[in-house]
Amino acid sequence: MKFSVTKKQGLWWVISGTAMVASIATMIFSWTSLNAPIRPGLDFVGGTRIQIARDCSVAGNCDQPIDPAEVREVLEAQGLGSGTIQLLGDDQQILSVRTENLNGDRRSELLSSISEVIGTFDRQTAQIDSVGPTIGEELFVSGILALLVAFFGIIVYLSIRFQFDYALFAIAALFHDVLVTAGVFSLLGLTIGVEADSLFLVALLTIVGFSVNDTVVIYDRIRENLAANPEKSINEVVDSAVNQTLGRSINTTLTTLLPLLGIFFFGGQTLKFFALALIVGFTLGAYSSIFVASTLLAWWRNRTGRKSIISDLPASE
Amino acid sequence: MQKQRAYIILILALVAAAIAILTTIPPQLGLDLRGGAQLTIQVNPTQEQPDVKPTIEDVEAVQRVLENRINEFGVSETTVQTIGEDKILIQLPGESQPEEAERRLKGTAKLEFKQQKQGTEGEFRAESQVRQQRELELAILNQGELKSENQAKIAAAQASLQQSIQAIANLFESAGLTGTNLTDARPQPDATGNRWEVAINFDDAGGKRFAELTKNLAGTGRSIGIFLDDELISSPVVGPEFAGTGITGGRAVITGNFDLEGANDLAIQIKGGSLPFPVAVVENRTVGATLGQDSIRRSIIAGSVGLVLVLIFMVLYYRLPGVIADVALVVYGLLTMACYALVGVTLTLPGIAGFILSIGMAVDANVLIFERTREELRAGKTLYRSVESGFFRAFSSILDSNVTTAIACLALLWLGSGLVKGFAITLLIGVGVSMFTAITCSRTLMLLVVLSNPKVRQKPELFCPNLNIQ
Repeated sequence: MKFSVTKKQGLWWVISGTAMVASIATMIFSWTSLNAPIRPGLDFVGGTRIQIARDCSVAGNCDQPIDPAEVREVLEAQGLGSGTIQLLGDDQQILSVRTENLNGDRRSELLSSISEVIGTFDRQTAQIDSVGPTIGEELFVSGILALLVAFFGIIVYLSIRFQFDYALFAIAALFHDVLVTAGVFSLLGLTIGVEADSLFLVALLTIVGFSVNDTVVIYDRIRENLAANPEKSINEVVDSAVNQTLGRSINTTLTTLLPLLGIFFFGGQTLKFFALALIVGFTLGAYSSIFVASTLLAWWRNRTGRKSIISDLPASE
Repeated sequence: MQKQRAYIILILALVAAAIAILTTIPPQLGLDLRGGAQLTIQVNPTQEQPDVKPTIEDVEAVQRVLENRINEFGVSETTVQTIGEDKILIQLPGESQPEEAERRLKGTAKLEFKQQKQGTEGEFRAESQVRQQRELELAILNQGELKSENQAKIAAAQASLQQSIQAIANLFESAGLTGTNLTDARPQPDATGNRWEVAINFDDAGGKRFAELTKNLAGTGRSIGIFLDDELISSPVVGPEFAGTGITGGRAVITGNFDLEGANDLAIQIKGGSLPFPVAVVENRTVGATLGQDSIRRSIIAGSVGLVLVLIFMVLYYRLPGVIADVALVVYGLLTMACYALVGVTLTLPGIAGFILSIGMAVDANVLIFERTREELRAGKTLYRSVESGFFRAFSSILDSNVTTAIACLALLWLGSGLVKGFAITLLIGVGVSMFTAITCSRTLMLLVVLSNPKVRQKPELFCPNLNIQ
């Protein structure tokens, strides 16, 4: 069983190109409606989020679901009308309120008024995140900077270990993975309101570190095969390298996705979308390494004639 | 064979050491996992001089004041540290209602010069000894290695220390002289040149009140009480020669048994007492204790389920080598956790994610090796040679892929914020350990099984199903 990636290289490029264009389009649309390419979370724009759960050990406290209209009235009475209210949990006993950035005194005030309306809640299960606007900006800038530094470091390392064109196409594949993952989250932000927090930036960086592995393993094999069979065409070499590493690519991606799927389905709320970002990114990483990075390298070497012998015959076996 | 034996002994020794470390050093859990409040405080320029940024010394002065206030909360294992140029990070484990803490932290420190009440000399001496004793006890407790076991004791010691501090405060009465009357405080060598003292300057009103205060106390043996946030930090005595006019001119020195560091500390505390820079809480992350435990439990369950599936998959797909890889993965897990404990990594939720991901990297190294071994077997090599060249040939792939991941981790460590750093450090350590276990552990176990067991050598299908040897 052997298949040729280079034969249908046009198809792979069209698929990836379409995904990238769609991602950019989604982010532009998101920019016009949300003022950001991806719906930004608290970490980046600042604000206060309070999540509290009713204390169900108090008799009669949890008989009814929390009424969001009552909570809305409290918010409006305190001049926080622009805040958002969300109910969580299976029987709607957890309340999540997001407002502008509040200091300790205003939070206490808000919490006690909410408690008057919805009943007592358990401070031991509460979560408060309050982020000033300047902190959010610093987080964002440092995250983007880290991404660029990582890109640069990888280019330098691969240029030394391989050659500059390998490094360039590996980065092109990486850029594709990060861009399309961002596009998917942009879409999720527009449709179901998923927000990008600082964990999302971490996820993008992890995708960079992890997806480049797939590309490196295939390039490593191409390099080895080129040295062993200098008489073969680059297309042939690339095809056999992809086939030889296919089992590994599939198995590794699968074994990495297993714990991530575990976190996505069973893990805590905090890590759910972090896991999803990684799942999307790693799957894209495996795809781009096998189908895009390899064929781009073959195309480039054919074009520049860096291979001494170019066979016109299609790879056959 | 000799070499393999040596490796096995090394691995067993490391595993034993890892278990010993894990049982003696409990894992440090971040506030997001065990519950607590984390506040980031920014030191802002003053209103009078909005363009003058606080210097490092200014931030340190503010940090000392905040440390003193934090200690009054009676929360154990608090940390106060400066981050960046103008921010201070405060962690309050177990605190689920940070509003009060925020209010008290933001209020300006209260520096006050008080007058010792009449007839309290004996009481003051006795109570000061009690306080010293309790401070010493607390310092010893805080140095103990197993902090968590001592928590109750520490809390009790802190409570009794607070009682003593309160008792001392009751021996003094107000003299109407506070930090707002202070213009400067700095360390300087004393007359003998061996010791240090703190020179203080008052403004006009302060100078007059200070003269009156010292006149009242001169030669009586009673002390001036210098209080920072209602806690006595120094109690100088005024000599009888000032009984006539008091200490005039708005200058004074605080002498004591100070070295340069001690005098500097006191000067900073006094100056910080008037808190030359306003502070603002710019970030507050609070997680209730039970909520934190819930996330631990869920994430551990999720990670374990995924991990067990990976272990099963490895055996089903790779057969005997899969079993060996599973053993190597367990060794990997133990060594990595031990490294976290040794380096003092604080495990946060992203940190756990980093660990789970690093397991993926460890599996990848094994997968690369086994795929290569199978190829060599299919090419007709003997089992032993296939295993050896499988390792040899997979190595460059493993090295390159791990180094690229490490580069991304280093970028995060260098530029990332706290949460991001926690993720990067666990992944980075994981990548390092996985290189080690893949190369030593999996390889040694494989070679040992192949070499020491002739039956295995006759059954290469244990390594590769459907193998047709040409």
